[in-house]
Amino acid sequence: MHVSMKGITKRFGSFVANEAIDLEVAEGEVLALLGENGAGKSTLVKILYGFQSPDEGTIEIDGKPVAFESPRDSMAAGIGMVFQQFSLIPALSVRENLQLAFPALPLVPSRRGAADTALLANLRRLAPELDPSALVADIPVGQMQLVELAKVLNLDSRLVILDEPTSVLTPIETRALHERVRTLAAEGRSVVLITHKFEDVASCADRVAVLRQGKKVEDRPAAGLSATELSSLMVGGAKVSAASRVPLPTRNVPWLEVRGLRAGDAFSSVTGIDLVVAPGEILGVAGVSGNGQDVLGACLAGVREVEAGEVILDGVAVHRGVGGVPDPQQVGYIPERPSVNGVAPELDLSVNLALKGLHTLPFWMGARRPSAREALPMLEEHDVRPRDPSRKARDLSGGNLQKLVAARELSGGRKLVVACYPTMGLDLAATQAVYARLFEHARNGASVVWISEELDDLLRFAHRIAVLFHGKVLGVVEAAEADRNELGRWMMGARS
Amino acid sequence: MNILLRKRRELSERFRWFEGTLSVAAPALVFLLASSAFFALLGRDPLALIGQILNGAFGSTYGIVETLVKTIPILLCALATAVPARLGLLSVGASGQFYAGAWLGTGMVLVVGGSHLAMPAMFLAACAGGAIWALVPGFLRAQWEVNETLATLLLNYVASLLVDWAVYGPWRDTSNLGWPATISFPESVRLPVLVPGSRLHAGLLLAILLAVGLHILLSRSRWGLELRVLRSNRKLGEGVGMSWKAGAAATMAIGGAVAGLAGILETSCIHGRLQSGIALNYGLTGFLVAWMSGQHMLRIVPISLVMGALLSSGDALQLFAQLPEATAVVLQAILFCSVLATGGLLRRWRSP
Repeated sequence: MHVSMKGITKRFGSFVANEAIDLEVAEGEVLALLGENGAGKSTLVKILYGFQSPDEGTIEIDGKPVAFESPRDSMAAGIGMVFQQFSLIPALSVRENLQLAFPALPLVPSRRGAADTALLANLRRLAPELDPSALVADIPVGQMQLVELAKVLNLDSRLVILDEPTSVLTPIETRALHERVRTLAAEGRSVVLITHKFEDVASCADRVAVLRQGKKVEDRPAAGLSATELSSLMVGGAKVSAASRVPLPTRNVPWLEVRGLRAGDAFSSVTGIDLVVAPGEILGVAGVSGNGQDVLGACLAGVREVEAGEVILDGVAVHRGVGGVPDPQQVGYIPERPSVNGVAPELDLSVNLALKGLHTLPFWMGARRPSAREALPMLEEHDVRPRDPSRKARDLSGGNLQKLVAARELSGGRKLVVACYPTMGLDLAATQAVYARLFEHARNGASVVWISEELDDLLRFAHRIAVLFHGKVLGVVEAAEADRNELGRWMMGARS
Repeated sequence: MNILLRKRRELSERFRWFEGTLSVAAPALVFLLASSAFFALLGRDPLALIGQILNGAFGSTYGIVETLVKTIPILLCALATAVPARLGLLSVGASGQFYAGAWLGTGMVLVVGGSHLAMPAMFLAACAGGAIWALVPGFLRAQWEVNETLATLLLNYVASLLVDWAVYGPWRDTSNLGWPATISFPESVRLPVLVPGSRLHAGLLLAILLAVGLHILLSRSRWGLELRVLRSNRKLGEGVGMSWKAGAAATMAIGGAVAGLAGILETSCIHGRLQSGIALNYGLTGFLVAWMSGQHMLRIVPISLVMGALLSSGDALQLFAQLPEATAVVLQAILFCSVLATGGLLRRWRSP
């Protein structure tokens, strides 16, 4: 299938999301679509997928113009999309999830016979080892993605759009996905791969299109493109100053000590975690998400009750349990999905920014109630928009809420900073800004525990890296001596 | 995008007075139209009937007094619902707490009788009774996540039966010739009357003072702010050292105490004795008022007055217009729907 988009323009009010973009995908071709957050990638593919209609421009499939009113139309024309947020139902089995999306499913679907074979054919090809009866909740993220892909292929898609598919995968899963993408292309399907990783481009793209501020700034064969060329294409002339590394701490004494930590529930847990972090040290915690990271972070921050073990900061037990509630002001904590877990949506920005010190206010707050006076400088410093402290947090976009939480948790002196995926979903410039603030705390002598899936960033900025697997620390290495592939194997639970 | 946002703010500031008027006028207009349609359906002249309602509720001293008498328990039950709602707890237990307060308060009167400390002791016991009745579901919710709506609902029946048991059984005044009620309360435990010769008692002032006091507490104190944080995001609030469980216990207890106060006021100042069925529909009406006001302690006062007027004019409608008693309930429902529906539409219109 040969798809060509011509002169696509899409405006939202005065904002131009796409400006006269031409894009072609040939049969059997893998096109990598690159760009920063807000460059217009998602708008463009939403138009291709029929979610939105362009203000100007046309889409042609095999030379014939088409007009998509909704994804139903585009699916009928053979276009499928795998979203970043999966649309699988965790409480159902893999087979049931596929059945839900299968065209012309009988009223009482059988679990065997020709119909079932047809249903599972694509899945068997993509993930032969996956048991179709397993609950989706129980399978790793990489496999979930393949189930999503099988769902799309079951609709006989000739063009598959993958939205940042590798952002949630381990290195090994990533490599497997790259192979699958090549297979799809070899079968004559077209693939549009949205990404901002050079790795994805290098290992499976035929051609690269780069968007910047709504315009297509580059369209060329992928072969021979270097990583530096690519990132300068994405950010344009704008210079993104990378966060600088923090020198190794000189006082190698235990500041944060975790002993035999056990906590969690049926969905996520840690069992028997022991860690020691020095003042000024950045400990990176790597691992596939869902291996207990959220529980570990919440326990270190004193937000979640521990079942056993202790967390000691500067000689004082700070874990939450029978003993009491730790002082929220000595720990900065960016929870995972901060836009959901880190804000009170019905309250205004002043209160949201003042939360950590609320307990120090007198019962009758009087003039000391949280006000715009303290909030405004924080909003400015962290570039939170709109800069209006009286707005309710729920009026802000996800990215701005993330900056809001960072502003609250990373402002002021902290003894410990715990950050869970602090840059997930942020673009290059915002990511470096968060890194700079996060690492500044290490420079000032705090321990920093930084949970992330960005192995490259961990290797670059962390002093040591611990790998979490099934709620246990599988190993800890000095970042300077760590081997990327070795860490990747640890993340899959393999340690020799 | 920025420019757009700024524009909308200026617009809303200039028209704030307009919006404020609209948020009162629009539901009132919808209510008038809908109730007119209802009267027309009954084959009556809407204008004449609405005139009769207004006349019944506010047209005479007797009408005004009866309206205010009914406003007191509605206002208190609405406060009792609204305080736990500040934490997101959906209590429908005002009538049960009303009975529990009436029961324990009466018990205190029966014990201490005519002592000069009888009145404070009675009020204290009534508040304690209501608070205990509310703390049970509050504790169940805090400790084991038992749904507080169901628990408060079911405890309503228990409390009502408890009062029945008392007045049919051990506390029955045998000189009443089988009438299931306690002995008459001594004059010393009755609050002074506001309008001489009527049954409008000083509980009205107490209720309004409570509304104002609760409003100040919830809007000015750190505790009130903490409740809002906990309601908005429980985990986040607990993470910075607030206690949701303590909040649940405190709001339920305060609400229960207020409803218990309503119970003993009704018992001592209106009926003069404890008897069966004194809560009428006050608990439910108070619940409706609380939600119509958006859990705003001050807004509850005028809305309670409107509800009180509707209830007291129900008698007038029955008497003079020969309409069934249920008419007043239907009008209540129409008011409830008008307020909530227009409120929702206005909010959508404000933030598209």
